Amino acid sequence: MIAGAGACLPPLVVTNDDLVRAGLDTSDEWIRSRTGIASRRWSAPGVGTGDLAVAASAAALASAGATAVDLVVLATTTPDHPCPATAPQVASRLGLSGVPAFDLAAVCSGFLYALAAGDAWIRSGGARTVLVIGAETYSAILDPDDRNTSVIFGDGAGAVVLRRGEPEEPGAVVAVDLGSDGDGAGHIMVRAGGSRLPVYAPSVGLADRTLRMNGRQVYGQAVRRMTNSARRVLAGPDWPLESVGAFIGHQANQRILDSVADRLGIRPEHRFGNIRDVGNTAAASIPLVIAQVAAEHLVRPGTRTLLTAFGGGLTWGSAALTWPDITVEAAFTTFALPGPREEDTVPERKTP
Amino acid sequence: MSDSTSPPPYETLVLLLREKFEVDPQLIDEQATFRGLDLDSIAVVEVFVTLSEHWQVPLDDSAATPDLTLADTAAMVGAALDGRA
Repeated sequence: MIAGAGACLPPLVVTNDDLVRAGLDTSDEWIRSRTGIASRRWSAPGVGTGDLAVAASAAALASAGATAVDLVVLATTTPDHPCPATAPQVASRLGLSGVPAFDLAAVCSGFLYALAAGDAWIRSGGARTVLVIGAETYSAILDPDDRNTSVIFGDGAGAVVLRRGEPEEPGAVVAVDLGSDGDGAGHIMVRAGGSRLPVYAPSVGLADRTLRMNGRQVYGQAVRRMTNSARRVLAGPDWPLESVGAFIGHQANQRILDSVADRLGIRPEHRFGNIRDVGNTAAASIPLVIAQVAAEHLVRPGTRTLLTAFGGGLTWGSAALTWPDITVEAAFTTFALPGPREEDTVPERKTP
Repeated sequence: MSDSTSPPPYETLVLLLREKFEVDPQLIDEQATFRGLDLDSIAVVEVFVTLSEHWQVPLDDSAATPDLTLADTAAMVGAALDGRA
């Protein structure tokens, strides 16, 4: 069951107009109408996913009143380095050195995959408490001139602490549904930087080193996969759709979220999200919303809650849980490197 | 879910455009394009997803472009239905 939550965002807010001023061929109206996004947060150069993960995790541990866990699972598409994994360093920086810690790669579905893994670990008796993190620094893998991606993605981190509990306790993870279809791998991809196309290969250019996304294919797949997965996960505990009082979908695109929620018949007042202000933060998006909703006391503990996500891979997943009875001090903390205040600087147009 | 009493694909598409996308009925004809009806690329994929669900047939989202005519779209659904038969 979920026993605590926390989140972290970089302080630098990048508005749609900032992107236009930086030279991107688009407009605030175009971005809002197609994505629902007004701004996103980008990390300053030198800030890594691990930094955001540590800050979010510290908040989650405080929320849970925990000083130790038995396992750390970090879902991310954007680890600090290709090797080694980021999770062990995050664990050490949190004073958790010695516990098993690993990264999990399922792109935007990563948090739900990590939640399922942590929950299963506890059910198997392998752990009593698990720190589950979703953290991303997508600004490091974006081509600033690619309108299909650079307007959509932002940086951030969210985390929850899982502990063993009883099924009737608020926060219980009741059911999960996961799936994948590798035939669609090319729809969301960074081509270079892995073993198939090393980043030092002579043919590698900017387009290979940065995220590419086929928006049309992704939209259709996302709507179908999330809708079907959500229905399957609710069938397990026999929860009627109308009994769901809180719906948090992966913050991919407002129109995808609306399409899925409309198909499921989720009432507007039961839909929660933050895409307007932070964009698509991939694996971080669902725990960021969880922390915000908990901090603002928007959902009553025990409320039947549906989480659903879709991402590169292709991967998808859903979770049915009851809303936890937790205290979260703030919707998010911020992380910035020492030095000039990030919020005072002009957005960097990074070139990976 | 469709059945033998369902209207043919073009009529289903017209109904969808009028009721879900609130398109002015006077603008709708077989040669109208989605762009001409002010539907952007995401809306066209949404049309495909909805038709695919209604008729229980697979439709290729990569073909969902704003320059498609309504007749082309209905023909795609018809071809998918023929393939299912």
